[in-house]
Amino acid sequence: MTDLPMPQSGAAPVPKSSLMVADTRTRRRNAAEKRFRLYGAGAIGVALIALVVLLTSIIGGGAGAFRQTYLSIPVALDAETLDPKGNRNPDEMSKVLTLSYGKVLDRAVDAAVGSSEIEITDLSEKDISSLVSKEASAQLRNRVLADPELVGQTVDVNVLVNGRIDGYFKGRVTMESAAADANTSPQQLMLADALKEQGMLVTRFNWNFITNPDASDQRPEAAGVGVAILGSFYMMLVVLLLAVPIGVAASIYLEEFAPKNRWTDVIEVNISNLAAVPSIVFGILGLAAFINFAGLPQSAPVVGGLVLTLMTLPTIIISTRAALKAVPPSIRDAALGVGASRMQSVFHHVLPLAMPGILTGTIIGLAQALGETAPLLLIGMVAFVREFPAAPPEGLFDPASALPVQVYNWTQRADPAFVERASGAIIVLLIFLFCMNLLAIFLRRRFERRW
Amino acid sequence: MYDINRAESAVTQQDIKISARNVQVYYGDTHAIKDVNVEILDKTVTAFIGPSGCGKSTFLRCINRMNDTIDIARIEGQIRLDGEDIYDRRVDPVQLRAKVGMVFQKPNPFPKSIYDNVAYGPRIHGLARNKTELDEIVEKSLRGSALWNEVKDRLDEPGTGLSGGQQQRLCIARAVATAPEVLLMDEPCSALDPIATGQVEELIDQLRSEYSVVIVTHSMQQAARVSQKTAFFHLGNLVEYGETDDIFTKPQDSRTEAYISGRIG
Repeated sequence: MTDLPMPQSGAAPVPKSSLMVADTRTRRRNAAEKRFRLYGAGAIGVALIALVVLLTSIIGGGAGAFRQTYLSIPVALDAETLDPKGNRNPDEMSKVLTLSYGKVLDRAVDAAVGSSEIEITDLSEKDISSLVSKEASAQLRNRVLADPELVGQTVDVNVLVNGRIDGYFKGRVTMESAAADANTSPQQLMLADALKEQGMLVTRFNWNFITNPDASDQRPEAAGVGVAILGSFYMMLVVLLLAVPIGVAASIYLEEFAPKNRWTDVIEVNISNLAAVPSIVFGILGLAAFINFAGLPQSAPVVGGLVLTLMTLPTIIISTRAALKAVPPSIRDAALGVGASRMQSVFHHVLPLAMPGILTGTIIGLAQALGETAPLLLIGMVAFVREFPAAPPEGLFDPASALPVQVYNWTQRADPAFVERASGAIIVLLIFLFCMNLLAIFLRRRFERRW
Repeated sequence: MYDINRAESAVTQQDIKISARNVQVYYGDTHAIKDVNVEILDKTVTAFIGPSGCGKSTFLRCINRMNDTIDIARIEGQIRLDGEDIYDRRVDPVQLRAKVGMVFQKPNPFPKSIYDNVAYGPRIHGLARNKTELDEIVEKSLRGSALWNEVKDRLDEPGTGLSGGQQQRLCIARAVATAPEVLLMDEPCSALDPIATGQVEELIDQLRSEYSVVIVTHSMQQAARVSQKTAFFHLGNLVEYGETDDIFTKPQDSRTEAYISGRIG
């Protein structure tokens, strides 16, 4: 590998060589360099291929989550069923169960299919009405309760269709698989095809995937990452508010003010060790300290945030200290030389110069925390949460989910439609991480100054 | 541009500004400065010369307590500024450093505008009551360091964008702006080319009228050109201290003689 000079034996006469001909040593050196470049290019190539495979598999699997099929039909909102008292009072109307809305919807679907002059073979009314999602009646109920004046009218509704039919248009469900599936049949799919031709089935961008909460096992078509995004956002808020000030203050103290003795050495080694502790250990710590001892609620973003703070602190401290160390000592001397105190020299001169490094480290720490799953499983963030948490600060104590946990959750479910949702959630997560890294690069460029 | 005779110009005042008594400095186990006694005069340029590692910079940094920032450094003895012991427990080094300014070996302007570089010291010491006064201090300091005419139209530009010699004069302006009584210079010209060196040396000679200037230098020619008093350090000892002319023409100690004639160092 290395080019140590060969021991010269005695006084062997060295023949005169020409510069036009490369000698053996030069040739060997050049060959070694060429080989090394090839290794490097090979390593980069392997990494790039892995990245491309990863992205294509995730985007190929998850892009479907962002498109959703709806049945666009007129629905007659029967006043008798939906508002028995007839006073359009939302409080009274909320006593009408989702079941009644389901009946209204079933009738509307049957009527729409009946009037469309499509030839129907081997399909009962129940088969036809089960084209729509079980979630559709609940969505209709929410819409009516929000606007009671709709009762008695006939409104155009985009009804969420069942996950199997949705999957058929995304290529996940085929005639063969439908024949073997108790939840759907080839006849249903043929009806769906016919409805599509009539323009009653439409596929469009699925905003609900981003805004909806999670849905139960039977309704993958209604599941979304809304609660998970909010929960992750709240946790990032907690991490930002706790880890950044504590981490930056700790590193400034350790780097600029603390005496260099055995104690600070011990602290330094332990901070480095903390950075290497597996994240699940922090989960157990959080369970013991924050939930069992301090009595904070389970599944709450505040607990998740605290655990992730503990996990992110070493990362932030190490990168901040590295950034402070990189500021040339001549700047400190200059400030002290004109009579600035230690604190003035740090806050007026050292910290602004270290800022890009500190910001980059912090954002990388945050990104790491955003993608962390294991510790959240232990503090109950894995729970099935349908309710959106309230606005902070109270909302920090409400149950919520988190993006990576939602991915984990969905991959555990039986319906293959959830695989698509899980990949979709991964895409959302990757977009967030990508944006955070872009922000880190932007801040670095913005604050970078030469000295 | 410069001739040795310049240094012979009469030393007008002979007040003792700084007096050091039995100063010892230890870096951990290393005895870096051994029993130094010296009296530095006001309105005079005093040069510290000697081979590398002889302790001249260390001693210079004792005068404004910059060695306090080094954990393992330990100082014994007394250094008096105008009769007051600067290592007394009641002395705040921050206040001392406002009185004893320092210019470093490598030009180290802050990565801020030229104006902010000079204005920083007066700002933190509250020397100006308003913007006009601050502007005056900045202009006076930049004029004092012979930089005003070169930078007066671009005070908002970064100080780091100036040439090496200009940067060093900016650092001198920054030190002068806090209205110090003593200016310490640690090899201020070692990173500069001969022309910039000439400009800084000329400046040092002008500064003599207002300050007591102590300059550490590697170059014996420079010591001869700019200083009236010279101290020769060797292996942590102050070997010889006297009028610059005497040191260079009739050194008392054989080590001084060996050094200035180029046989050691």
